[in-house]
Amino acid sequence: MTAETLLWVLPLVPTLTALVMLTTGDRRILSAIDVGSSAILAGLALLLAREVAAGGPRALGVLRIDDLGLVFLLLLVVLTLAVSIYTVGWLRQAVAVGNMKAESIRLYFALVHLFVATMVVTVLADNLGVLWIAMEGTTITSAVLVGYHGHHHGLEAAWKYIIVTTIGISFGLFGTVLIYAAAAASQGSAGPGAMSWSAIMQVAPTLDPGIVRIGFIFVVVGYGTKAGLAPMHLWLPDAHSQAPTPVSALLSGILIKCALLGIIRFQTIAAAAAGPAFPAGVLLVFGLISVVVATPFILAQHDIKRLLGYHSVEHVGIVALGLGFGGPVGTYGALLHVVNHGVTKALAFFAAGTAIARYGSRDMRVIRGLLGVAPFGATFLMLAALSLAGVPPFSIFVSELMVLRAGIGGGHWVAIGIFLAMVVVIFAGLLHHAGAMAFGEPTATASREPEARSPLVGMALLAAIMILLGLTIPATIDEPLRRATEIIVD
Amino acid sequence: MSADTVQTLIDDLGALLLFTMILIVAAGQIYRAIYAVAAQSLLIAIAGGILAISTGNPDLWVIAGITLGVKAITLPWVLHWVVRRMDVRREIEPVIPIAATLALAVLIVVVSFQLSASLGPVRQAITGNALPVGIALTLTGVLVMATRKTALTQMVGLFASENGIFFTAMAVTQGMPLIIEIGVILDVILAALVMTIMVLRVRSTVDADIADLDRLRG
Repeated sequence: MTAETLLWVLPLVPTLTALVMLTTGDRRILSAIDVGSSAILAGLALLLAREVAAGGPRALGVLRIDDLGLVFLLLLVVLTLAVSIYTVGWLRQAVAVGNMKAESIRLYFALVHLFVATMVVTVLADNLGVLWIAMEGTTITSAVLVGYHGHHHGLEAAWKYIIVTTIGISFGLFGTVLIYAAAAASQGSAGPGAMSWSAIMQVAPTLDPGIVRIGFIFVVVGYGTKAGLAPMHLWLPDAHSQAPTPVSALLSGILIKCALLGIIRFQTIAAAAAGPAFPAGVLLVFGLISVVVATPFILAQHDIKRLLGYHSVEHVGIVALGLGFGGPVGTYGALLHVVNHGVTKALAFFAAGTAIARYGSRDMRVIRGLLGVAPFGATFLMLAALSLAGVPPFSIFVSELMVLRAGIGGGHWVAIGIFLAMVVVIFAGLLHHAGAMAFGEPTATASREPEARSPLVGMALLAAIMILLGLTIPATIDEPLRRATEIIVD
Repeated sequence: MSADTVQTLIDDLGALLLFTMILIVAAGQIYRAIYAVAAQSLLIAIAGGILAISTGNPDLWVIAGITLGVKAITLPWVLHWVVRRMDVRREIEPVIPIAATLALAVLIVVVSFQLSASLGPVRQAITGNALPVGIALTLTGVLVMATRKTALTQMVGLFASENGIFFTAMAVTQGMPLIIEIGVILDVILAALVMTIMVLRVRSTVDADIADLDRLRG
């Protein structure tokens, strides 16, 4: 199979899996297909990564893979695999206590795989129109998943999610149209090719800077809504807290990163047309607002999944700051932070999900003494919390440090000051919450059943990657990151 | 058709589009808002036809046809059906007075024209005043969504907002690629479908308007 064919096979794998899922209702068979399909997807993505490392970017029709897309694709397939493994045990428990109806789980699995398929397309899209269509596709499929539990809290969150993000990304479409208009005027010809990112990049320096600036602002507001940048983040804590746990992990771990990739694509166009200072300034502002807005909500939160949701707002803000500070260090740091936060946040949602199932509550005042009843789960929760708070030697510390260094190098003292103050406050708040949950006397209502195996395997996979990335950055990850940085910075 | 005639026609349609937008903002009853958004989509389809004749681009005929079928007829009909089925007796329920929303809408229109007047060279790539009208429709649609508490009015605001984008996209030299337009419309249909199901589901389980639920805070 050539690399070009692989581009089209990748989104087809989860799509076909979704169709196959509809033919059976047996939970064991469905789980087996789920894990198998995710493993195949991961294998094919690794194959593609090797091709790209050897022969550079590949394109076929409206899809294209370069190192920038590759970074996001690898994160996507690894998290999807971990989610599938986690789901096996999670689902058994959820069906047993009646959180998920046994007769409708085939629909759940089919939707999850369609959701993954749309995300794969957003990562591989070269045509900016296809990028938008796939992005709206992720909204539609995941909105149903957010409201999947069917109680009215879930539906309220799902409604808010679909309305806010649909309106948000229609701004993204407007920005896309404006930039396409500028490009069509420059290229002198239209047609499907005129909308592709690689074709627009060729003429980017000749685009009219005025329209590109307005288009870029529309795009940042639009895709920024989906990425969870404040003040457009209103849907995020609700959707992350109400969705089934594996879906929360997908939303927070990958989906918001896919939206960031969309912003990065337009950032490169805007930087070439209007100079790098303009998009950098816009991202800096949104990044700072996100970090500042998230902090008080993190401190005052009692619902553990909402806490993690607000925490995603903060970290998306840090990625935007890294891109805003710019330069090779800031951009590399931002991309590394995308990977680190994706892996760590998915781990945190997994650990939180098992704790919630054990205590029957999302309230952190009820979850006490987890270490006594579920030592492995509690360890993973503590590891994730330490990493999220930015404690060395975990991976997030490394990427935050790079972002910080880029800011200092660029002389952004005010931004650095605010950023540091917020990070320190969140550090204290998060460790306080996590410590209270892990230690102390277990609550009397806590279930003392032995821990299920598959969720632990899923968590161990992510924890291993997280710890590895904190200690060293292996060449297989470092090289795509470096080349992706060159794509953005040049 | 000469370029001047086309530009005049597009500008006239733009004025009518802004008028339908004011009708949507001012509508006191959900039915009126639905009729206004249907009329708005019809105008967009006519604009598509005019641009198809003037540019000789057959794709624009297809887009105009789909807009007519989907946005001017099917989606308003579905909204109408949901209203009847839910037997909505309530009025629009604005969060702030309708007069204040209208004032804001006027402000949006003025700002949109100011903004695009500052973009000299780009306007050559887009026919007539399609850019400021498109920006105004999109932003006013968001305003409607933000200031209304019922789910169906929010959906009307969403459709109006998307009409603005379609209008601008059509008027861009040569239009958007057909396959992309079709994909976008497909997304609109699917999103409307999912929203309708959610509205009906909440109505049948807790007898409340989904946009009115506000338990999730903080």
